[in-house]
Amino acid sequence: MISLNSVTKRFGTVTAVDNVCYTVGRGEYFALLGPNGAGKTTIVRMLLGFSSPTEGSISIDGMSTVNTEVRRNIGYLAEHHRIPPYLSGREYLMRHAALAGLNGVAAKKEVARVLEIVGMTGRDRKKSATYSKGMAQRIGLGAAILGKPRLLILDEPVSGLDPLGIRDVRNVLDDLRRDGVTVVLNSHLLSEVEKTCDTAAIMHKGRIIVKDAITSIVKENETLEDVFIRCVEREHA
Amino acid sequence: MCSFAVWRESMRNLIKIALYTLLDQMRLKSFYVLLGVSILFVLHIRTCYGGRYIVQGQQVDRVTVAWHASKIAFHVICCGMFLLTALLAMRVFTRDRNDGSLVLFLSRPVDRWQYVFGRVGGIWILSSLFMFVLHCTIFLIAMSKTGGVIPGYLLASTVCFINLLFTTLLVCLLSLYMPDFIAALATVGIVAVGFISDGMHLLMQNKMIQDAFSGKIHPDPAWWRIIYPKVSLVQRYAVSLIDKSEFHGMGPVHPVLNVIFFSVIIAGILYVVFNRREI
Repeated sequence: MISLNSVTKRFGTVTAVDNVCYTVGRGEYFALLGPNGAGKTTIVRMLLGFSSPTEGSISIDGMSTVNTEVRRNIGYLAEHHRIPPYLSGREYLMRHAALAGLNGVAAKKEVARVLEIVGMTGRDRKKSATYSKGMAQRIGLGAAILGKPRLLILDEPVSGLDPLGIRDVRNVLDDLRRDGVTVVLNSHLLSEVEKTCDTAAIMHKGRIIVKDAITSIVKENETLEDVFIRCVEREHA
Repeated sequence: MCSFAVWRESMRNLIKIALYTLLDQMRLKSFYVLLGVSILFVLHIRTCYGGRYIVQGQQVDRVTVAWHASKIAFHVICCGMFLLTALLAMRVFTRDRNDGSLVLFLSRPVDRWQYVFGRVGGIWILSSLFMFVLHCTIFLIAMSKTGGVIPGYLLASTVCFINLLFTTLLVCLLSLYMPDFIAALATVGIVAVGFISDGMHLLMQNKMIQDAFSGKIHPDPAWWRIIYPKVSLVQRYAVSLIDKSEFHGMGPVHPVLNVIFFSVIIAGILYVVFNRREI
């Protein structure tokens, strides 16, 4: 599904991503982990074509991320998700639906479906300027799953959510697993990653230092958080 | 997908984004402030038509007053629209980046050129409609006061749309390199230099001025004045359509073609610059 071939991204003299190679299979739940500044968001931006690799190539379903058609099958929730303050949640989702190629009744049905899934039915007609961070995040998640994408890229999806919201996101992801959706999750909430994802890569200073199935990475009597701290501290040393 | 289907899909996206731009701009308070100022101006102009004007001891008839007032109003509206368009266009990209609209558009199957030209097109259509409505109002006021129409007035307004396209593109391009307000000011400055340069040139063509400075005025304008964006001459050409007067441009290229040429060049640069940007 996703293939990164020797991807390097430099911003002037700073190397944000350094010769990264990995593949994510169809239906796989893949977590991209790392401390702040490790290069996770840079990879996510390159997956979406917001930024191009300095070296190497990225492809999704065999198509280069330069091709905008790739994004027809991608749902994306940004790390600092924002909704234009003059739009209501419904209007925001209707725009997403229209740009995804849905119109008229089909768009309204799809928006109603995702509002139901993210628990925003009845609160969707208020201007987004009045939303709490959690409500905006729910609308953002709704936008990401709108149109039933085959690949979901979630950058800190539970940021700003209360425990109930976090549980709802987990339930949404569990449902999507049944539909065969591939998920790339970028999160600092390692306990959630451990519960949700199949594989994980830990990044440090632009490089991947560990990549494997979570069941292989996490040994008995330890958590993903223990592994993460051990790996990052070893790199620091 | 076959090329026609791709083209149709591209145009559909471009039109959607232009439409969203129109709607988004009309939700902003600043738009209504500008609209209010424009309405006040038109109401103020309305009083000019009812005045009594005496020239060399003789009262000027209503038709002549309406004719001249409408022509002056035409110029003032066109010039005011440069500023208004610059103000509308200056924050488009910055606002989109800050409020999440940029991610909304570009996380979907929308090409960057569709986004850029959708936004530019939306601002252009809005400012052109704005100007056309103001010109229409003046046209109707003149018609109600005199009972006759000013031929070519509305056609002249549509000719000036090209100036607003040039302004929108230039502000959008400059706003990628400098603070928004500076980009708007720089654009207005570039337009103003054109007006001063072309105005001076026309003044120098005057027989009286030529006689007064006999031999000291170079008959041909400098090369930069010939190739400079001819927004002021487009406006002058538009006015020549109203009063059916003979139009004298500057250099071999018609000013409308000159402004179209610059608009295409700026659009090309805008596309290349935006395409290379990190989102």
